[in-house]
Amino acid sequence: MSVSTIFYNTIVKRNSVFVTSIFAGAFAFGVGFDIGVTAFWDRWNRGKQWKDLRQKHVQEE
Amino acid sequence: MVTVLSDPAQTCPPSGREASLQRPLVSFARPLPAVCFSTPFPTTATRSYPTSHRKPAGPTTGIFQHRLLHTSVAVKDAPNVPDFSGYQAKSEATNRGLSYFMIGSLGVLTATAAKSTVTEFLSTMSASADVLALAKVEIELASIPEGKNVILKWRGKPVFIRHRTQEEIEEARNTDWKALRDPESDESRTKKPEWLVMLGSAHAMDLTTISLNLEIPQHDFNDAEGKLVVG
Repeated sequence: MSVSTIFYNTIVKRNSVFVTSIFAGAFAFGVGFDIGVTAFWDRWNRGKQWKDLRQKHVQEE
Repeated sequence: MVTVLSDPAQTCPPSGREASLQRPLVSFARPLPAVCFSTPFPTTATRSYPTSHRKPAGPTTGIFQHRLLHTSVAVKDAPNVPDFSGYQAKSEATNRGLSYFMIGSLGVLTATAAKSTVTEFLSTMSASADVLALAKVEIELASIPEGKNVILKWRGKPVFIRHRTQEEIEEARNTDWKALRDPESDESRTKKPEWLVMLGSAHAMDLTTISLNLEIPQHDFNDAEGKLVVG
């Protein structure tokens, strides 16, 4: 049985399962997207944000 | 204007150029009523046609017959249908799975966008970060000796800050809090065991029988400056 048939039979066949998995997928996607964008932002601005600078600042004081 | 092309010499008196047309250009089986125009003729139908390529036609019989049966082959619009097999799906199951996968993926994206829209719209109603920063209250922890209370006013409500002694901490932690009316562990209500920060909400204070624990406001300890920030 191919992947597409398994996908159809397990998820799509019942609309309740399909819609529920769409909402669950949206939740997971939202969380993952948030984590991904935040990680990218922190990497892009490495050494510029307060949470990176704070350690240096507090040590100097 | 076709009528002009019928034999003009039939009923009309020949005049000028028309007289030169000895034969009708188009022979109609049913003779049409001849139309006579006074010269000069106004339309293009009166042009003199070259006579060199005109077929010689016999005299009109006047007998008209509908031809109901003919033997010519019917012309098809597209007699040679192209081969579409290259465009057809290799596997119907794969096609179906891919279609529903795309539908589901679009649903996921739409649901995420809708949730984000609602969340962002609701967040515009809450106070902005600068307003929240103004609404904070700081206090020097060193100014509160052990075993003493300090009452602050924060957002119109009193905040009780108690520097607990070691016995008080142990008493609070050893209590069987699960048997209390509003069961909450002391560990979950304090960030540091020696500091208990409670919000005196009017709702809880006005009740004749206090049935709920006092609310714990959001607070943070600034260890570098030895300060407590409420808010």
